[in-house]
Amino acid sequence: MPSDAEIAPAEPARQGRERRAAGRVLHRSSLRVLLRDPMGALGLILVVTFVGMAVFAPWLAPYDPLKLDVMNKFQPPSWAHPAGTDQLGRDLLSRIIYGARTALSIALTSVGLAGIGGLILGMIAGYGPRWLDGILVLIFDSVSSLPMIMLALAVITIIGPGTDTLILVVVTVSIPAYARLIRAQTLGMAQSDFIVAERAMGASGARILIRHLLPNVVGPLVILLSMDVPIVIMLEAGLSYLNLGVRPPTPSWGNILYDGYTSLRSAPHMVLIAGLPLVLSTLGFTFLGEGLRDALDPKLVKGGA
Amino acid sequence: MTPLLHLQDLSVDLPLGGLFSRGKALNILAGITLDLPRGQTLGLVGESGSGKTTLARAILGLQPSSGTMLFDGKPLASRSDYRAIRRRSALMFQDAAASLSPRMNVEQAITEPFTIHREPMGRRRDRAAELLAEVGLPAAFAARFPHELSGGQARRVGVARALALKPELVIADEPTAGLDVSVQADILNLMADLKERHGLSYLVITHNLALIRHVADRIAVLYLGRLVETGPTAEIFAVPAHPYTQSLIAAEPKPDPRKRRADLAIQGEIPGVLRRPRACEFHTRCPLAQEICRQDEPVLRTIAPGRQARCHLIEEKTLNRETTDELDHQSPQLS
Ligand SMILES: Nc1ncnc2c1ncn2[C@@H]1O[C@H](COP(=O)(O)OP(=O)(O)O)[C@@H](O)[C@H]1O
Ligand SMILES: [Mg+2]
Repeated sequence: MPSDAEIAPAEPARQGRERRAAGRVLHRSSLRVLLRDPMGALGLILVVTFVGMAVFAPWLAPYDPLKLDVMNKFQPPSWAHPAGTDQLGRDLLSRIIYGARTALSIALTSVGLAGIGGLILGMIAGYGPRWLDGILVLIFDSVSSLPMIMLALAVITIIGPGTDTLILVVVTVSIPAYARLIRAQTLGMAQSDFIVAERAMGASGARILIRHLLPNVVGPLVILLSMDVPIVIMLEAGLSYLNLGVRPPTPSWGNILYDGYTSLRSAPHMVLIAGLPLVLSTLGFTFLGEGLRDALDPKLVKGGA
Repeated sequence: MTPLLHLQDLSVDLPLGGLFSRGKALNILAGITLDLPRGQTLGLVGESGSGKTTLARAILGLQPSSGTMLFDGKPLASRSDYRAIRRRSALMFQDAAASLSPRMNVEQAITEPFTIHREPMGRRRDRAAELLAEVGLPAAFAARFPHELSGGQARRVGVARALALKPELVIADEPTAGLDVSVQADILNLMADLKERHGLSYLVITHNLALIRHVADRIAVLYLGRLVETGPTAEIFAVPAHPYTQSLIAAEPKPDPRKRRADLAIQGEIPGVLRRPRACEFHTRCPLAQEICRQDEPVLRTIAPGRQARCHLIEEKTLNRETTDELDHQSPQLS
């Protein structure tokens, strides 16, 4: 039992009085910690750029990414085509920009679906009856014992390559890790006094799960999700490169890399131009995820604020 | 008059979930038989680890238990019975700050019982201000979050939340733990005040004898999950019957150190539920232990009107009144 002095607010009343919502203050100081970390700030800039490209692709892209112009194939970078053109004369910059859109939509859809699935299953396992927990944990363990790439190849063989296949594989493979994290969080949190207090007041299980456990367990999941986005971007590019992912002619960095590789002799710039955004965006997400993890660590926030 | 709360032979066993101990259970409480008359304060005393918090949780159905419990004369058995007792009683936690959700401000926290039970509360803000006033906090505290409260303030917020639905029974688990002495007195006065005003019945749980002597009408002494003595507070403090109670009272800090009885001091540490001694649980630390205490388990029996104790040696004790002819060896009984 901490003494009175230890329970007392860390900051003096000077600041405490003006606080209306602790959540907002925490959020603001977390952002400050994130920005003070150079890697975190760089990550944020890269991710914002990448997301901006994806969202505003139709306005940013100088050309239609699918428009053929065979007369002007394998153009090196020029004023008309800042990133040059590919083997079919399509504008590479436009394809890269639309490729960001493809990568982001696949990554966010699959990570988002997996996150929601993991959240629901993890909370059920952590707060539901023991037998159900047992069954769910068994399923999580069996699924996560399969390597992602093996499962991907198996599913592609059965239902064929494509965006949906990719999303299905990522969701299936990622749910166990997310669910296990949420389950552990939920199990720990369910024992805490304020949850027991809710039960003692007569709150229903559903109310406790949704109003009290949910907001307190999602934090770490969000960090994990943001760190998994670059993995999915890489996976999408990798499978598309192998012609097992996004079907051409849809612009995808993996497809562009493949095209660049096959025409390495005639247009060496293509590989570089498709590789660079891939490297930068995955690095950006990784830095941002690590920065977020540190920034959301309450100890660091307190020390820095 | 039926007591507000009646426990008969309550026990709690925690299932052990380990790979090699599946199916086994750890016994935490057994044979708890208690009455809490309406409008009274029952003090539950025992060292840390004796099962006090577990008992509080079992009463509200937060902890599975076996035995019989009657709340206001009606048995607690089904889910809806527990919903009813949770609506009509309140639990104050040992760690008041931890019992408040970190994401809810005081206003939300203390009006939460209305939301849970869909009780009309009028304007949330007015109701919160009213409850805060009852516990002596300014209305401005409604906007604070738990981490912005001192220990005493958190405790008052806990009391305000407990009062929200005008409970009949308030279970207070170590209501003064972690507080400065002056704040302790404030909280106790507040609790006494509210009891008067709202006709509450209290189950006060503590290891603090001075506190229990001050607030309780009757006390029940718990040792390793067993009741060892129950009776009116004044009588027990005047003439403790069980050697454990005697040692507790003898060890209590006194203004005059010469009044402390070294011969009655408890020896050693409480053994813990994992290493529960056979027969009489207390024999390992009892200054009076005899062969029978290591052989047979004593039962809780009436030793005087309104008093029970669980000890083989009570006949040889000198109680104030001559009570040996009232001994009842058959079964534990309640007054
Ligand atoms: N969830 C649990 N798992 C294992 N042991 C427990 C659990 N809860 C309580 N206990 C044990 O039960 C005993 C009584 O605990 P408790 O009721 O908290 O005692 P008190 O409140 O009197 O200090 C202790 O020995 C404690 O270790
Ligand atoms: Mg306790």
